[in-house]
Amino acid sequence: MTEILSVSKLNKKFGGVTVANDIDFTLHAGTMHCLIGPNGAGKSTFFRLILGEHAPDSGTILFRGADITRLRSFERIRRGISVKFQVPGIFKALSVRQNLDVAFQHHLHGHNLSSTVKRVVEFTNLEAEVETPAGALSHGQQQWLEIGMAVGVEPTLLLLDEPTAGMSPDETRKTGEMLHDLNQRGITILAVEHDMAFVEQIATQVTVLHFGRIFAEGTIAEIIDHPGVQDIYLGGSDE
Amino acid sequence: MDRPDTPHTDEPLVAETQIERRSALAIWISRLEGPQTMGRGPVFWATAALVVLAAILYPLFSDPFAVGNSAYFMVWTFMAMGLGVVWGYTGALSFGQTAFFGLAGYAYGVLTINFGAAYGFTWIALMISVALGGLFAMLIGYFMFYGRIKGVFVGIVTLSVTLVLETFMAQTAGPQWRIGEARLNGFNGMSGMPPLTIPWPGGDVLLYPGVGLYYVLLAMVVLCYLGLRMLLNAPFGNVLVAIRENPERAEMLGYDTRAYQMLSFALGGALAGLSGALYTAWGQYITPSSMGLTAAALPIVWVAVGGRRDITATLLGTLAVLFAFQLLTVYGSQYALIVMGALLLFTVLLTPEGLIATAMRWLGRLVGRAKR
Amino acid sequence: MEFFAAAFAMAYQFGDAFAFLVISCAGLAIIFGMMGIINLAHGEFIMCGAYVTASTARMGLPLPLAILCGALVAGIVGMLVERIVIRHLYQRPLDSIIATWGISLIATQGVLIVLGSTMQGIGTPLGSIEVGDRSYSAYRLVLMAAAVALLIGLYFLFYHTRFGVIARATIQRPQMAQALGVDTRRVYGLTFGLGAALAGLAGGLYAPTMTMVPTMGATFIVESFVTVVVGGADIFVGAAPAAVILAAIRASLTAWYGQLFGQIGLLIAVIVVIRVMPGGLSAWIKGTRQ
Repeated sequence: MTEILSVSKLNKKFGGVTVANDIDFTLHAGTMHCLIGPNGAGKSTFFRLILGEHAPDSGTILFRGADITRLRSFERIRRGISVKFQVPGIFKALSVRQNLDVAFQHHLHGHNLSSTVKRVVEFTNLEAEVETPAGALSHGQQQWLEIGMAVGVEPTLLLLDEPTAGMSPDETRKTGEMLHDLNQRGITILAVEHDMAFVEQIATQVTVLHFGRIFAEGTIAEIIDHPGVQDIYLGGSDE
Repeated sequence: MDRPDTPHTDEPLVAETQIERRSALAIWISRLEGPQTMGRGPVFWATAALVVLAAILYPLFSDPFAVGNSAYFMVWTFMAMGLGVVWGYTGALSFGQTAFFGLAGYAYGVLTINFGAAYGFTWIALMISVALGGLFAMLIGYFMFYGRIKGVFVGIVTLSVTLVLETFMAQTAGPQWRIGEARLNGFNGMSGMPPLTIPWPGGDVLLYPGVGLYYVLLAMVVLCYLGLRMLLNAPFGNVLVAIRENPERAEMLGYDTRAYQMLSFALGGALAGLSGALYTAWGQYITPSSMGLTAAALPIVWVAVGGRRDITATLLGTLAVLFAFQLLTVYGSQYALIVMGALLLFTVLLTPEGLIATAMRWLGRLVGRAKR
Repeated sequence: MEFFAAAFAMAYQFGDAFAFLVISCAGLAIIFGMMGIINLAHGEFIMCGAYVTASTARMGLPLPLAILCGALVAGIVGMLVERIVIRHLYQRPLDSIIATWGISLIATQGVLIVLGSTMQGIGTPLGSIEVGDRSYSAYRLVLMAAAVALLIGLYFLFYHTRFGVIARATIQRPQMAQALGVDTRRVYGLTFGLGAALAGLAGGLYAPTMTMVPTMGATFIVESFVTVVVGGADIFVGAAPAAVILAAIRASLTAWYGQLFGQIGLLIAVIVVIRVMPGGLSAWIKGTRQ
C-alpha cells in the first residue's frame, strides 16, 4: 500500500508542556484510520500540526511524498488535505447552498457548480434545508454539512475531529455510512473519535495517542485486547 | 453492507466538468443579483431605474447650487461603499479610511498643481491618486492581516494611522514643505489645484461644482455600485463573506484568507482614495482635518446607519445621512455632529443591522406579500 | 558636570514620555484588558477630568483635591455611560466600540456648544529647577512620580484587595464567577467606572500643562492606543513595559528629530510589534515565562 501521510519525529511544546513527543506515524492510502486516546493526549494538536495551524518545533510531515512541514494551511488544503472540525466550522449566517458554493467554487462554476452542490446536498441528507441558514440546522445536520463542505476541496485525505460528537445513535449510524461511502470513492480517512462502537463501525486501523506519544497501533481487535490501552483509559492517568 | 439511507449512485459527487456555454459577460451580468446583495427581480430593477431617471432629471428642476451640493454628497459614497466591503462584507472594522482619502486627496493636488490640467491630465492624476490610496491600504493591510491582528486591533491601528497622518500634514506649514510647485501649507491645507477637466475641441470643459460634475459623478456612482454588486456576488465576494463568518473554515477550504483580506482592504482603500481625489477636485482644496478624528468617525456613521452588510443599504444610507447632516448644518455643524453621534448610538443599540437595511428587508417582505 | 547635565536631560525626556504614556493609557488599558472593549470616548473622559479639575481649582480648591474631583466626576460619568449604553452591548464588542465613538462625538461637540471653544486654564505650578544651563519643569517630575505611584496603586488594587480578586476572577471565567455568586454586571460597571476615573485622573494631572479645548482628548488618543496595542491585554506585564520601550523610542526620536518623528516612530513600532508578536508584549512575556 502507498503511504499517503508520513510524519516523522514530530515535536511540539507549548510553554513547558509537551503536546507532541517524537511522533512517528504513517497513514496508508485508502484506509479508514482512527486516532484515539484520553483527553489531553494531544489528538487535536496532532491534527493542527498536520493542518499547519501550529508549526512543529521539529520533525517533518510528508503528504503524498512531498514535504509540507513549512506550508501554510491553505496550501496544504490545496494539495488534497481536508478537515471537519470538532465544533461545526460552518458559515452560520449563510444558507446551506451558499456554504457549499464557497466550498466548491475553487474549481467549479455555473452549471457544474450547481449540479455538484445538488448531489452533495442529497449525499448529506439536507435536501429540505437548502435555503436554510446553516446556523439554524440541528447539530447533526451541521456536522453533515461540514462533511459535505470538506469534500469540496476534492481531498485525498479527510481529517475528522470527533465527527459524531453530540449526535443521536441514528445520526451516528448515518454518519458512519457516509464515511464508508466517501472512503469507497477513494478518500483516505483519519478520524479522532471517542465512541468505541463507532470506531469499530468505521476503522480498519487504530492508533492510540497518550501524552503526546504514539502508545499503541494495530487493528481494532488488537487495540481492544491491548492491556496497556485498558490501563490508560481506566487508570485515570490522563491530565 | 446494507446502507438504506445513502442514495446509491455510481455518479461521482463532484460533477464531471461540462463546457460552459455562457459567455463571460453573461456570467458577470447574472451576478448583478445574488446571495450577497439585497434586491432582485423586475420590481427592484424597475425601482432602481426610476431612481436613476429621477436623478438624471433632477438638475432640470433645481438650481445649480443644489445640484452642486448633490454632487458633493455623491463624492463621499465611494468611501462609504469601500468601507461597506471592508467592514460589512469582510468583517474587518477599519476606523481609518480617511487616511487613504487624505493621501489620495493630497496626491491629486500635488500632481495637478505640478503638471497642470491640459490634455485631460486631471483624470490621470485621479487614477494615480486612487492607485496610491489602494497601494497604501494594501501595505497597511499586509502588516495587519499577515500579522494576524483582528477585531478591535484593526480599528486601533487604522485609526492611529489616520491620526498620525493628520498630525504630519498639520505641521507642514513651512516653505520647506513642498513637492515640486505644490506647497503643503500645514494646518491650512492645500488649495488652488484645477478641477477635473474634459478635453474638448475649442477649450477644455472645467467640471466645477454644478450640472456637468453632477452628471459625471452620477455615472461614476452607478457604475461603481453595479460593479461592486457583480464583484460581491462573484466567487471573490463569497469568499470575503465566508472569511467574515468563519476565517478558520475559509482557510481550511483552501483559500488564502490573508491575501483575500488584504485585497479587500486595498479595494476599500482605493475607493476611499477615489472619494478623496474627487473631493479635492470638487472644492479645489484639502486640509489635514479631513484625516482627523471627527472626519474618521463620519464614514462609520454613514455605513452603520445605512447598513453595512448590504451595498445598496450602504449607498442609500450614506446619501440619506449626508443630506440630513447638510440640513442640520444650518443650525451649526456642532449640532449636526451631536445628532450624528446620537444617530450612531441609537443605530447600534436599536437596529444593529442598520436603519436602511432593516427598512429594506421590511419593504421586501411587504412587496413579497403583496405579490402573493 | 557636562555629562551629568546631558544624562539628566535624556532621563528627563524619557521620564516625561513614560509618565505621559502610563498615565494616559491606564484607563484605556484597564477597560480593554478586563472587558475587551476599546473605549473611543477615552479622550473625552480625559477632557472631562481636565475641565472639572481646572474649574474646581479656579474656584479655590487646592490642586491635588481638584484633580481627585476630576477623576471622581469622570468615574461617575463612566459608570452612567456603562449603565445606559455599554451594558446592552456586551455580546457585541465591536458595536460597543462604535457606540463609544458616538458618545465621543456627542461629548466633544456638546462641550463645544455649552462651554465654548476654549476654557481658561490653570498655570503649571511648582516653577522650575535648573540642571546645568537648562531649566526643567518641576511639575513634570511630579507627574513622573505620579505615573510610578499609579502603577503601584493599581497593582495593589488588583492583587491585594477583595475587588481586585473578584474582578480578575470575573474577567478570566465570567460564568464561573457568576456561579459563585459574583454580581458580574456590577464588576463590569465598576471596572468601566474605574477606567473612566483613571482617564479623568490623566486629564486632571495634565490639565495644568495644557490648553483647555474640547478636542484636547485627541492629544492623548494615539499614544494611549499605541501603548495598549503594543502591551496587549495585561496592564502590568503589558502596558507598563510597553510604556518603557515606547518612551525610549519617543524620547530619543523626539530629541533628535522633533515631536512629529517621535509619533511616527511610535506608529512604526506598533506595526512592527503586531507583525512579530501577535497578542502584544503581555502574550509574549507570558509565553516565555512558562
